[in-house]
Amino acid sequence: MLLEMKNIDKSFNGVPVLKKVQLEVEKGEVHALLGENGAGKSTLMNVLTGVHPKDGGTIVFDGEPQEHMTIKKSEELGIAFVHQELNLFNDMTVYENIFLGKEIVNKFGHCNKKEMIRRAGELFSQLDVKIDPTEKVENLKTSEKQLLEISKALFFQAKLLILDEPTTALNNDEIDHLFQIIRNLKKNGTSFIFISHKMPEIFRISDRYTVFRNGEYIASGTIDSVTPEEVTRLLVGNTDSFKDIYETREDGEVILRLSDYSGPGFEHINLDIRKGQIVGLTGLQGAGSSELMQCMFGITRATGGELWMEGNRIPPASTHKTMKAGIAMLASNRKENSVIPDMSLLENMYLAEHTLSAKKFAIHKKEEQGKYEKYREMLNIKAQDSSDSILSLSGGNQQKVFLARWLNTDADVLLLDNPTQGIDVGAKAEIYKLILELAKEGKTILINTLEIPEIQKIADYCAVFYEGRIVKILPHSEIDEQTVMLYSTNAAGA
Amino acid sequence: MSKKNSFTKAISQYSFVLVFIAIFIVYAITSHGLTWNGVMNIFRHSAVIGIIGIGMGMVCITGEIDLSVGSMLALISGFAVVIYNMTGSILVTLLFCLAFGAVCGLINGVLVGYVRMPAFIVTLATMLIYRSFAQYFCQRIPKDLLGGGSSVYRMSNSIESYQTFYNFGNGKIATVPIVGLVLILVVVIFTYVTTSTKFGKKVYAIGSNEKGASMNGINVNLMKTMVFIITGCLVGVGAFLWIAMNASSDPATTGKSNEMYAIASAVLGGISMSGGRGKILGILFGAMSYTVIDKIIVALKMDSLINDAIKGIILLVVILIQLAGPKLKEKFGH
Repeated sequence: MLLEMKNIDKSFNGVPVLKKVQLEVEKGEVHALLGENGAGKSTLMNVLTGVHPKDGGTIVFDGEPQEHMTIKKSEELGIAFVHQELNLFNDMTVYENIFLGKEIVNKFGHCNKKEMIRRAGELFSQLDVKIDPTEKVENLKTSEKQLLEISKALFFQAKLLILDEPTTALNNDEIDHLFQIIRNLKKNGTSFIFISHKMPEIFRISDRYTVFRNGEYIASGTIDSVTPEEVTRLLVGNTDSFKDIYETREDGEVILRLSDYSGPGFEHINLDIRKGQIVGLTGLQGAGSSELMQCMFGITRATGGELWMEGNRIPPASTHKTMKAGIAMLASNRKENSVIPDMSLLENMYLAEHTLSAKKFAIHKKEEQGKYEKYREMLNIKAQDSSDSILSLSGGNQQKVFLARWLNTDADVLLLDNPTQGIDVGAKAEIYKLILELAKEGKTILINTLEIPEIQKIADYCAVFYEGRIVKILPHSEIDEQTVMLYSTNAAGA
Repeated sequence: MSKKNSFTKAISQYSFVLVFIAIFIVYAITSHGLTWNGVMNIFRHSAVIGIIGIGMGMVCITGEIDLSVGSMLALISGFAVVIYNMTGSILVTLLFCLAFGAVCGLINGVLVGYVRMPAFIVTLATMLIYRSFAQYFCQRIPKDLLGGGSSVYRMSNSIESYQTFYNFGNGKIATVPIVGLVLILVVVIFTYVTTSTKFGKKVYAIGSNEKGASMNGINVNLMKTMVFIITGCLVGVGAFLWIAMNASSDPATTGKSNEMYAIASAVLGGISMSGGRGKILGILFGAMSYTVIDKIIVALKMDSLINDAIKGIILLVVILIQLAGPKLKEKFGH
């Protein structure tokens, strides 16, 4: 046994987030740590890596009991946390990142660059990673950055790697590559704690699993002995949310028209979207679907073609004018694009509406409070007080606040860019239901996602992107994972 | 428990009041008996720096900085004296102060907001430029427009409204200095603007998450430019008060280091230099705290050259307590 964590307790400000949980990881295994957002996975990992001190319980690593874990100590023990948000220095080169603080120096403190570059190259070739050690990190693809983080941990003989949703930004080939590396390392006795929301991956790579729910330990076992459905049931506690929720609706008039629309990352897009439709956009990372949305919302500037909304042409490159025309966008990358960290829930919810109603200078707190309560109920936002910080909510509840932010602008068209990113299963199901309800009320919804089951659940039709162009439009009945992958990898066109 | 929590929350949010009270107590002890006039004088002497500090505070809330405010004060007040000597009208002088301040702020704002140069560099440059202009033109302008002064802009006391203007700067209403009332008025207006208007929320949003703000349809470039313009206007108000109080402006010394005192007042008042956080009310207390320190030094008959050292040390100590406080509470709180 490499790691034994038993009866771990942890509270923040008197609120228990871990209640006597346990986790055991064997040498040379991939252990999937499963749970919805807010189940306590990250907290447990933070306890393990010494970010937060534990309130109670025992940690035994490699046979040695560890009473007071610190970040430094966990590093020395060989525990490496590969974060969801990559902790790399973009302005430095690859090898400088690897050796940061542990540079190879001569006795005068002079860095031996050649040696560091050679060793980094050696490691990369061992791992079959094609990264130039002298490249600047900002020039790397996201997948390469992810691999660099892992390589960095391995360089200093990590025995246990914690991978927190490592595949979010990777395409299928890159995921295959990552999993191959993990399997090779496993053979050499390295262990992994694998945190992911994607079931197929979990079943592909893991040996054993542990499930948490609401800060409590629920179950663990070997992955061979369970099915994805069983695991999902353990995760959410009930399976209601997994019924097929799609139903056909009447389409309205054409509300949104893209004609020969081109911009950074996509070109010659022609789409007629009708009122009340739910349109799925998908494709591999960088295929153009997300880029299209950003351009439609005026974040980037279109280079050609036109965007029409209810017969009016929307001027390019102005988010504000796009909003005025009745388009809203729930951006991907919640932390970077949506969260205003110093503001309360209410302030966060009202920010977009304020830019539309800026001519009415004053704020009417009571009115806003009333609207907030309405949306809180409608979207089932789990929050105590509207004056609480947005950061006090879990990812799923934050996302609901941002959905409320845009619904509050009374937009007719909602662009949802990866709306369920980093959200737990339960909240995901709620958001799907909401999208369907909104469409029934006449809202038009475009949803961009890499997760095909999502589109399969809700979209009337789905536009598949490949290298900046729409290669196929699939009606609801034809959307399934295999078909979509066929077109998004252009296997059909080859 | 929630009551206790909200109390400690209030304490940590309004710690600038505690700092002020602590400094004020020291003042009360050292000054051998407080007088009402002495206390009211705190308002008077905080007026200019407090008003400039509010502009600085708003700039800081957006995550930027304005180093040019001190030089801007010298330039606006100097030219305002010239305008007053030319027109003899208090109203025209006030309007000039506001308009000229807006122009000075606009230059900073456009360069920071639209050209996207770093605010530190832009305002460092305009700090040099504005001060230099104030001194240069003081030598070139005909002597009679300078009120007869040689290297000082002096209001000509032969103008009819001179006494009214001077009384505005030095007079009192119900024992409260008029300039102090102006300070309080400005604090009230900007507290309202920052807490209860959509404009104010946008200012905080930009400082908290600029990318996120623009994704909400906020025109970040325009907002930043506007905040610099507002700061310029507030410096204009400060300049107007300055000449009303002093009847003159020395381009070499007026507003010297005021940018630093304004930043220090804002920081002491709880404004976050990285943006997104802080209260306008805090700046009032920050500015008053520094005024009281001046008075303590006078009361103790200390060498006034030690003044800045004490102000600097107090700034460090207060920030240290603010940083260490939550950590100590976490360690010993339970």
